Amino acid sequence: MSEIVFNRRDFLKLLGIGVAGAASGCAPRESEKLIPYLVAPQDILPGVAYWYASTCGECSSGCGILVKAREGRAIKIEGNPEHPVNAGGLCARGHAALQGLYDPDRLKTPMIREGTTWKPISWDEALSRIAMELAQSKAGGKQMALITGHETGSMASLAADVAAAAGGTHLAFEPFGMDAVREASRRTFGVAEIPHYDIASSEFVISFGADFLETWGNPVYQARQFAEMRRRPSTRFVAVEPRLSNTGANADEWIAIPAGAEMALALGLAHVILADNLGPSPDGRGALMDAVREYTPEAVEARTGVPAAKVRELAAAFVHARPSLAVAGGVAAQSEQAVAMVAAVHLLNHVAGNVGRTVKFDRLMNHEGTASLADLQKLGEDVSDGKVGMLVVQGPNPVYATPAWAGFGAALEKVPFKVALATSMDETTSQCDVVLPVLHSLETMGDAESIKGVYSIVQPSMQKLPMFDARPAGDVLLALAHGAGAGSLPATWSAYVENRWKGMQSRVGGAGQPFDVFWNETLKRGFVGRPAAASGARWSGPPTFAAPELRGAGEMALVVFPTVNFHDGRSANRPWLQELPDATTKAVWGSWAEIHPATAQKLGVQTGDVVTIESENGKVSAPAYVWAGVREDVVAIPLGQGHTAYGRYATGRGVNPLALLAPAQDAASGTLAYLSTKVRVTKGGPAMDLVRTQRNQDQADREIAQVIPVAALLGGAAAAGHGAEGGGSDSHGAAANGHPVALPSQTRLGKYTEPRQMKPGEKIPAHAVTAFEQEHKVRGPRQIPITEGSYGGAKHRWAMAIDINSCNGCGACVTACYAENNIPFVGPEPIKRGREMSWIRIERYEEKVSGGPNDVRFVPMMCQHCGDAPCETVCPVYATYHNPEGLNAQVYNRCVGTRYCSNNCPYKVRAFNFFDYSAPEKPTFAFAEPLNWQLNPDVTVRSKGVMEKCTMCVQRILEGKGHARDEERELRDGEIQTACAQSCPAQAIVFGDLMDPESRVSKLSHGERRYWVLSELNTKPGVTYLKKIDREIPA
Amino acid sequence: MNRKASVIAFVIATLIAGTVAFTQSQAPPPGSIKVPAEPIVKSLLVQLGDTKGPTQPIAFDHSIHAGKLGMDCLYCHYAAEKSPIANIPAVSTCMGCHKIAMTDRPEVQKLAGYFQRGETPQWNEVYHLPDHVKFNHVRHVKAGVACQTCHGPVQEMKQVYQYSSLKMGWCVSCHRQNLNHPTNPASMDCLVCHH
Repeated sequence: MSEIVFNRRDFLKLLGIGVAGAASGCAPRESEKLIPYLVAPQDILPGVAYWYASTCGECSSGCGILVKAREGRAIKIEGNPEHPVNAGGLCARGHAALQGLYDPDRLKTPMIREGTTWKPISWDEALSRIAMELAQSKAGGKQMALITGHETGSMASLAADVAAAAGGTHLAFEPFGMDAVREASRRTFGVAEIPHYDIASSEFVISFGADFLETWGNPVYQARQFAEMRRRPSTRFVAVEPRLSNTGANADEWIAIPAGAEMALALGLAHVILADNLGPSPDGRGALMDAVREYTPEAVEARTGVPAAKVRELAAAFVHARPSLAVAGGVAAQSEQAVAMVAAVHLLNHVAGNVGRTVKFDRLMNHEGTASLADLQKLGEDVSDGKVGMLVVQGPNPVYATPAWAGFGAALEKVPFKVALATSMDETTSQCDVVLPVLHSLETMGDAESIKGVYSIVQPSMQKLPMFDARPAGDVLLALAHGAGAGSLPATWSAYVENRWKGMQSRVGGAGQPFDVFWNETLKRGFVGRPAAASGARWSGPPTFAAPELRGAGEMALVVFPTVNFHDGRSANRPWLQELPDATTKAVWGSWAEIHPATAQKLGVQTGDVVTIESENGKVSAPAYVWAGVREDVVAIPLGQGHTAYGRYATGRGVNPLALLAPAQDAASGTLAYLSTKVRVTKGGPAMDLVRTQRNQDQADREIAQVIPVAALLGGAAAAGHGAEGGGSDSHGAAANGHPVALPSQTRLGKYTEPRQMKPGEKIPAHAVTAFEQEHKVRGPRQIPITEGSYGGAKHRWAMAIDINSCNGCGACVTACYAENNIPFVGPEPIKRGREMSWIRIERYEEKVSGGPNDVRFVPMMCQHCGDAPCETVCPVYATYHNPEGLNAQVYNRCVGTRYCSNNCPYKVRAFNFFDYSAPEKPTFAFAEPLNWQLNPDVTVRSKGVMEKCTMCVQRILEGKGHARDEERELRDGEIQTACAQSCPAQAIVFGDLMDPESRVSKLSHGERRYWVLSELNTKPGVTYLKKIDREIPA
Repeated sequence: MNRKASVIAFVIATLIAGTVAFTQSQAPPPGSIKVPAEPIVKSLLVQLGDTKGPTQPIAFDHSIHAGKLGMDCLYCHYAAEKSPIANIPAVSTCMGCHKIAMTDRPEVQKLAGYFQRGETPQWNEVYHLPDHVKFNHVRHVKAGVACQTCHGPVQEMKQVYQYSSLKMGWCVSCHRQNLNHPTNPASMDCLVCHH
């Protein structure tokens, strides 16, 4: 190879050409475009958020919401503080409604099925085809069946009108309908209403399988009530269920009763109360005694395994704790004797004297007119008899949510013409002939009456999304009715709603005003009216009782239970909810089967190994989750997953345990018996992963979740200071004998360990204030705090107080944080490596879960905003630092991605963007159009290589300070709320200013129950926790 | 010599290919508004300060409106004192006067054309801050910072150009100077802009 020789001239030529080439490659940045309005709306400003009161449509609770819209896009949902249902709280599914609105798999146009493919058609074509089919069906003497979900208000009225006009029936199918509770009320109290269970006033609550903190009843309302109740140290909560639900995890005691035996225990308690004359003397005592005569404590022990002495103790305590409350009716306990079970609990409440005190009929959940599974089956029979010519389904997904033996899928195939009004394709709509895209509840007008007497508004917070050619469902139904000849109905849905409200105006207290004024006031407030009471509810005599029998040849009882994430499966297509770790198992993006360690040992499986669960009706496989919170003879599988056609996030994920259910229904109410089957469990099955965010629920003496014995709070001075885990108010982790523990910063006595002399008039700077300790008391290695410039002038020290006695582990705060802070969801693969991006997590610590005294603790953990933060000192580029107001700040554009800060953080609350979740061209893109419409413009969307963590919603702090500045006043306590604090149904998180001695957070942070997580590390956290109250359970 | 020539040719070819590839890779993200790229020569001249500021779809002259006529900035850009984002005025704001004023001028006729067709002009952004900077107009306006402090003598500009460098050091220098301002102290906290 000959040597290449360059002379200087050639080299310079080459250099020059190279530079010219590079320079010509530097094209000038293309300018962004600024698009003004054509005509500026008078009341809308860019950059300012506008809030619209509406009603959540994610379940039948109907919580009042406020929807935040920025630049014409709904970006955040919060609870309406004034609404009687939820009083400001909102569950995780409420927040995730935004992902239903911005679902990338929403239907874009009307479509018609041709064989196995879908062909897009125009609205006119679709509607005329439907009108033609309806006319044909009518001409042939056939009916039209309209199936909606549980609707109240104008939609319920419209559905009835449409069904009448089209000559047919309307079924309002709600898989988790409260039909059993209503029927039980009818048989025992004479009114078919769901009682109002006043949990807040109760001193002793027993739940017989009712997951009232998760999906049963109005979970948000009940969570708030429950937190109120639990703040009183004297209260007690006992959970009676074969599998410890998340509601049961909050109990003081878990009675691990065999599946189906709950009723026997309830009647046993009633027996003891009646036989020993413990309670008030009820009318018809003789009849009552007859009904429960066979349920002696010994008989109950034989049937349930609960010792007779325990039955007596519970009964006595139940009666003496005035008032008490027993609740029942959850899906997991719903057997073929569901009505009998709830009736038994009503009887127990009656003999204990609770009716009229904690069981009232002054506030009624509106479940009027819901159809049960039996009604669906009747429809199936009509279809088989050829009576139904056309079916319209709008809302529910019966093909998924009912077992195959119920016959809905088969019936659907026989209907000549089927129309679906839906936002996205699901198992039911994909079986129809024509699908019509309808608007999401956040884009449409409407109303709801989820509590009788309270009329809530549903109003759009934005124009309908342009990429989906959808119409209001009401408009479509009216078009159908008009096609069938109902000319008297209004032409549009909004006119229909308005007409109804005009008719209602005087009844709801709007008389004497012009309708427009009344309407605008209602729209602003979000609701009118107040809860109406039922009259005539009185004890009408004990019904007959029978215990359910589980069918099947297997040895294990199958318990299927709903989760707060997915409800009956309708929210499985929201990626936030797939990514929200399950409250019990901390599993994400999949299903699991819970088994007891003894069962696991017999099978030879560990957590994560796949097991196959088989019954005579079907077979599913899922990874096992081994824990002591399920009976040895029970296997528990969550509902809501296992979709086969429900968008990219839900399809093919997890399993649907309904396939296993034996044909069984409650004859009295027609509901599906979810608790009906015995199954066989074997090791092995197709490979699948159990992905969990928390794999170890043992605190291992780290004292992260602490308790205070109830005696200490009830004035037992001897109890305070000993036996309490984690010590009393000494923040340095003093051992029980009072000797101070040596800390690294105090290993040498000297200049920096004495209290510093403060100059007269010197103020402690805001950022140095924590509830943990104040800087002037004991000095660490830091030098004199900065007292000049912005550090000296700062007036606030933002901090939080989190009450783990109130936190029930629901995870609403986690989803609220995702919505507020543009946090990407990453899917199961990164989570296997511990790379979930959540800024707040709920840590679950199981101290005792094997039946009897129960102790499960939930610790919401986010950046502690430490006064002496280990992360701040190790960042090589000063991207994280302590800001003047006490927040630990993370500056994204400065971060170079060394990850040393996360390494140093003892709480492990920092999340690193290992991938580019915000780049549309990358497969890790987390904001597929139109999910990116939901992004909060006030929060930077982070790119790859950047660390992120909780900022205490600094964008909200700045907004709040700006408002106060504009109004020339001081900030008020409670004016600024972080997203998590705002959302918590139990108000467990309190945010505020520690520099204000009157603020709630100050008072809580200096209260008797306070402690800090890992306080021995002397990080001086800005987040103070309040200990859980540990109640003593009598033997 | 042959070998050397071929090496030089190879290097030049690589540079050109790389340049082409690089410019093509800077394509705008999908879905963004497509703008015809300004000719390279003109862009270079712009950068060298020959004709200041980007050419706008309508040659709106601030020196007439804000200068000669003395109109308040906040008349059109009212959101600057109410919102973190200052607005570009709606076409209807312009038409408020220009329905009858100066209707014979070609630029006014362009404007009227937009309004009649129901279209809005796509103004070229002059003051661009990256996404990780959350600048808040209302706080600055209420703190008494004159518009001209950052935007320059707009009332003398025939065509708006970027007067200040918009570099972070420039922002911080003013914040540092006003740290101890008696009534409207500026903050040196990174979080107020970077959150």
